[in-house]
Amino acid sequence: MVKMGEGGDTGSGQGRQNLQPMGQDFGRLTQLVIGEQRSHQLVPPATPFGAQQAVRTREELLIQNTMESCGFKTVFACAAGFVLGGAFGLFTAGLDPNLGFDPVKHGADYQPSAREVLREMATRGKSYAKNFAAIGAMFAGTECIIESYRGVSDWKNGTMSGCVVGGAIGMRAGVKPGLLGCAGFAAFSSAIDYFLR
Amino acid sequence: MASMINQDEAMQLAAELEVEMMADMYNRMTSACQKKCIPPKYKEADLSKGESVCLDRCVAKYLEIHDRLGKKLTEMSMQDQEVMKKMQQQQQPAT
Repeated sequence: MVKMGEGGDTGSGQGRQNLQPMGQDFGRLTQLVIGEQRSHQLVPPATPFGAQQAVRTREELLIQNTMESCGFKTVFACAAGFVLGGAFGLFTAGLDPNLGFDPVKHGADYQPSAREVLREMATRGKSYAKNFAAIGAMFAGTECIIESYRGVSDWKNGTMSGCVVGGAIGMRAGVKPGLLGCAGFAAFSSAIDYFLR
Repeated sequence: MASMINQDEAMQLAAELEVEMMADMYNRMTSACQKKCIPPKYKEADLSKGESVCLDRCVAKYLEIHDRLGKKLTEMSMQDQEVMKKMQQQQQPAT
């Protein structure tokens, strides 16, 4: 490195006299290095700094950002909940002995036709599907938002979003069911997270 | 007062300093943001959403602070130089 020159005298004790005065060069150098006249902004990490990952194309980054975004996660959870709810509804329709047939209207020994059974199954499947889709979307959305806000990934995100969703569902029936829903859903979500991780 | 080093040497010196400074800053930034944002217990190799959000914020803040401190430092060093120039001019007519 070039030896720092000494100009003038360090003279009287005012201010920062410990600096070896370089005349007008030091200011110019600082401007070139960290001031306004530096040659470029931060370079992308090249080999000396260690690029640990291959540089990704713009499309890859775009897809990755989309997949990680909160909106996509919400939509995906909604769709997955819909499918799951539909399957669950169809399945439980097969297990339910009553299956929504009114005993007063039809009598106790009513044998429904296949078409009626199928219609009942479809109705039930749709209703379950809508419920699951709504709950799944709300849960995924709130969890993603809470996680983005906190900037931390731990177990509390699931619990908090479970409380929000449970509270929102229960609040329709009053404050106390809201609190119960919050607690219940938070516990459910924590249990699921615990077993999944 | 004549310049101690000519323009070429100044540019070369600036380039060397800059490379060294950038390397140092990069290392410090990665270690600070890793310490802050990524908990030591790894469950998977991919960054989760919370971690990537935290890293974005950490890097943005670090670079902004770096910029601002650089500007402030150049301001102060220019002021220092003005003061020293004035002092030298005052002393020279006296002798």
